[in-house]
Amino acid sequence: MTTTLEHKAPVIKHEGGGLARHQNFLTAMIGGVAGAFIAWAISHHFFAQDVRTTSDAVAVLTGCGWIVGFWLGIGALNAPLAWLIGSDQTRKDQLYYAGEDQGTKRYWKYCTDHKVVGVQYIVMTMVLLGAGGILAMAIRTELIVPGNHFVDQQVYNGFIAVHGMLMILALIVAVAGPWGNFVVPIMCGAKDMAFPRLNALSLWTLVGAAGLLLTTLAVGSLTMGWVVLAPITDQAGVGMDFFALAILVFTVSTTVAGVNTICTVFTMRTKGMTLERLPIMVWGAIIAAALGLYAFPYFSLVEALQILDRTFSTSFFIGNAGGTGWLQANLFWLMGHPEVYVILIPAVAAVFEIAAVMARKPVFSYRTAVAGMVGLAGLSILVWAHHMFTTGWAPTLGGPFMVTTELISIPTGLFFLVLIGTLWRGNIWMKLPTVWVFGFIANFIIAGITGIYLSDIPIDNQLHGTMFVTAHFHYVFVGSVLFGAIGALAFWYPKVTGRYLDEKLGRISFWLSFIGVQVTFLAMFISGLRGMPRRYASYAFIFEHTNFISTMGAYMIMAGMLVLMGAVIYCWNHGEPSGSNPWHANSLEWLVSTPPPLENFDVLPVVTEDPYNFGKELVRS
Amino acid sequence: MTNSNDNKKSLKSFYWLWAILTALGIAVSLYAPGYLMPESMSQTMHLSVLTMVVFSVAAAPVAAGVYAAALYILRNWTHKGDSVPAAGPAFRESGKVVITWTLTSVLLTVFLLIWGLGALAADSAGSTANPLVVKVVGQQWVWSFEYQGQNGTTVMSNDLYLPKGREVLFHVTSLDVTHGFWAPQMGTQVDANDETITDLHVTPNKLGTFDVRCTQFCGLNHAFMVTQGHVLTPSAFTTWLNAQPARS
Amino acid sequence: MSIDTHSHHDAHADGGHHEPPEVVDGRQRMAIWLFIGGDALTLGALFFTYLYLRGVNTSGHWMSMVGYPGPQLPGGHTWAYYTGQESLPEATTVVTGPLSAGLNWLGTLVTVVSAGFIWAAERALRVAKNKGSFTLLAGIGTLVALVAVFISFHQLAAVPQILSVHADNTVLAFTAYGSSMIIIIGSGLVHLMLLVFLGVGLTLRSVRGAISVENWYQSRLVRMFWVWVAISAVAISALTTTINTIH
Repeated sequence: MTTTLEHKAPVIKHEGGGLARHQNFLTAMIGGVAGAFIAWAISHHFFAQDVRTTSDAVAVLTGCGWIVGFWLGIGALNAPLAWLIGSDQTRKDQLYYAGEDQGTKRYWKYCTDHKVVGVQYIVMTMVLLGAGGILAMAIRTELIVPGNHFVDQQVYNGFIAVHGMLMILALIVAVAGPWGNFVVPIMCGAKDMAFPRLNALSLWTLVGAAGLLLTTLAVGSLTMGWVVLAPITDQAGVGMDFFALAILVFTVSTTVAGVNTICTVFTMRTKGMTLERLPIMVWGAIIAAALGLYAFPYFSLVEALQILDRTFSTSFFIGNAGGTGWLQANLFWLMGHPEVYVILIPAVAAVFEIAAVMARKPVFSYRTAVAGMVGLAGLSILVWAHHMFTTGWAPTLGGPFMVTTELISIPTGLFFLVLIGTLWRGNIWMKLPTVWVFGFIANFIIAGITGIYLSDIPIDNQLHGTMFVTAHFHYVFVGSVLFGAIGALAFWYPKVTGRYLDEKLGRISFWLSFIGVQVTFLAMFISGLRGMPRRYASYAFIFEHTNFISTMGAYMIMAGMLVLMGAVIYCWNHGEPSGSNPWHANSLEWLVSTPPPLENFDVLPVVTEDPYNFGKELVRS
Repeated sequence: MTNSNDNKKSLKSFYWLWAILTALGIAVSLYAPGYLMPESMSQTMHLSVLTMVVFSVAAAPVAAGVYAAALYILRNWTHKGDSVPAAGPAFRESGKVVITWTLTSVLLTVFLLIWGLGALAADSAGSTANPLVVKVVGQQWVWSFEYQGQNGTTVMSNDLYLPKGREVLFHVTSLDVTHGFWAPQMGTQVDANDETITDLHVTPNKLGTFDVRCTQFCGLNHAFMVTQGHVLTPSAFTTWLNAQPARS
Repeated sequence: MSIDTHSHHDAHADGGHHEPPEVVDGRQRMAIWLFIGGDALTLGALFFTYLYLRGVNTSGHWMSMVGYPGPQLPGGHTWAYYTGQESLPEATTVVTGPLSAGLNWLGTLVTVVSAGFIWAAERALRVAKNKGSFTLLAGIGTLVALVAVFISFHQLAAVPQILSVHADNTVLAFTAYGSSMIIIIGSGLVHLMLLVFLGVGLTLRSVRGAISVENWYQSRLVRMFWVWVAISAVAISALTTTINTIH
């Protein structure tokens, strides 16, 4: 069953590449810094510095200079400019861009090979999670005892916002980035993504956006929670401008990535790969991509309006000049709730995939699984105002939004049906990915049920804006999405590196994280129930014990994540060799060699059935 | 490698586990909300705690079922040894199970919705013709409360005083950024927005002190934007109000 | 999964990237439709913004400010003194008034005409197989789009501002209507500049031979997006010239 398609690499001596031969991450950084400096110098020269809106304008232009310089430096603009003057890339150029014969150097370049982009996304996700995690530890350390002891209050407020935003960005790409790029095209039987250059563009644009986001920490931060809703944004310094621009740039990245994923799956499937035969992971990737395409235009618009208000004296969100903060709240949550499922759905799909392979059984009720994900995505666009139940906006709409919100428990319930049904009566292979799947199940049920409380207005009127909400969405994002993402990492890691992620270290990490999540966030639920609002830099003595416990739990999660990070780095070169199909799975990514060759398949396979018939020997005619 | 074993096992221990976990869940559901949430000082808060209890009881069998199934799977169907496990039974679909599961979750959701909408209606139905109007003003980072005093004067206070048993209508607004006006013991909150007045009704039904906290992040001292509330007897309230200096 | 590695007739001597142009075109058209879909949602969000602000008309400031009358400025700017200055004369309502509907529709008309030229160019290349006409028509279409760019700039410059005098500072501000018009016209301007980029590309590529009667696919992709921009311009004008008063 471990048949592998042998790859005979065509030997082509490359000469192409042109300018791209000299472009890499270093030139991108130099370009970005130079671009920022030039834009700063010019705008600084033309605007006086004493009026507030102009310092914002300088900041926005500086950020634009950074991103344009970064794009130029990495080589993102080579092809569009070459297109403009009618000199297209040759096949040799394309192979150079795909990283042929460049060894590990290609990981630092504008590489169009989807597998390189996948690995870059793994690193990027870990960097974002690491940065967000450091801030989380600073936040929990500050909250270890009442009073303000460790982190300056203003700095703390900034940490709250940047922690939130970093983690949201990290989790949006945590599954869809690495695995949507690395494995989804191979699963479909494609030689690459539909638009390889757009793939590289989405990755490097994300890197540029992350640079802008981290800049906010250096320039006075952003002290209003990650949602950054007006009018308090009016009091923010230039950190706010970098933040808004980072989001604008980030939405470019996700839009491009979403279009690419959908086109790949719908137009690049190999012969016989019907929609019903797609591995369930692929469905997760395209549903999330489609939902992202719906949601992120609101995000970019809301940040564009924010920038105009700050630099161009418009008054979209300014109450005393004809605007209203509720406009921003509506636009923001029109994006904000679908975005939660853009994050969640790929993780759920990955968990389905792992469960089926590890239980050696087909996905139970495949159609229900797809319907559940589609239903969740569809409902998510009708529920945004449940984030605004207590704002005072349109109280009469509370009932309808409560109805749509509570309906979400139906597709969510179907996920449990599919998972339990898939594992039921299986021969369950308790390897590292499976362990994280069970962790996902245990956490996701808590996440789901606490969500039902909050969807109910009489309860939400009490619990909105408290630590109960914080604990709820951390069960969603950490307990469910992150556990699913780590399961996916453990599952596909051998395909990327040819080595297992160490079972023992992985399990130590699992138990530290699993117990840590329960300790941290169960205690946080209690803080919220007892009446502690969110985003507090300090708190009353009645919340003392639960906060101390939460902090201890958070340290456990940190220990678990450090062990995992150590394992990921160590096993990359020193792990136990896994062969090309360690889980004896049948989907196409396991049938190519490890690591998969450039362009994946020497000869495109023809598919005759779905990948879940574990009882049969692989048939090759 | 086709598997002749369909892995069917007696489900008795699963049902037992489910029942025990459900009983445990219901016990916690009945007890925890009342114990953990702040003391109820209004019908609104009472309803909120009650809804927590009802929803928890309704959710207990669902959560218990998932946990029982997961534990039962781990106990019975994990593969022993280092070999690659054989294929499991290849069942793919069961219309009966899917329909039963979906119908059950629809019924549960409808029940929660009816309860929730009922509670919502019950809560907003109680507005009386002559409530005590209190203007709540949030600003960075203090609350102030304005009452109508004798002879049309305005009385201001930084503590919130309310009479027991009379409906209070809060007109909530802000002088700067958005704040969240929340009295945990009253079980309700609404945002204080600039240029806008939002309404909130509550009828205190218990004497004592309560907390007022800000639930919307409002800048540097958000964590310290707290004050005290006091529910007085109607006569004590009138005495307090008349003793306050009037503001022109 | 059963796979059959032999029956596939696709030849891959060069690694398989030489797919037939129709296949690549189908994929690219799908991407264009998806981008247009995303763009349509953005336009929807812009309309939502416009209608929401008009609907709530916060403090009566959708198009006006309750303030003090000030001098009229050339170029359509209205100056008003906003509240907060004790010593100023009695307050009146200053209405800035809507932007010129004629200019709005003129810009739209020019955009539609440019789309017509691109449409004709694409047909000349794909149906009539006439590359010379294609180059000429695409070039003209691009120049017409450039005219629309200038009209947009002119419209942006005419958005009325109001001078707000607060107790401690004086700023020029746009009303909610003015703000909405800035983002709508500004977004249209970004689209038009993209069209100019694409139009210049089409023309240059045709001259350099990268587009030919056999390889016409890109011209259709550009035409699809161009027509969409024209349609959205009509939608924008229809909305902003009809629903533009306070009541």
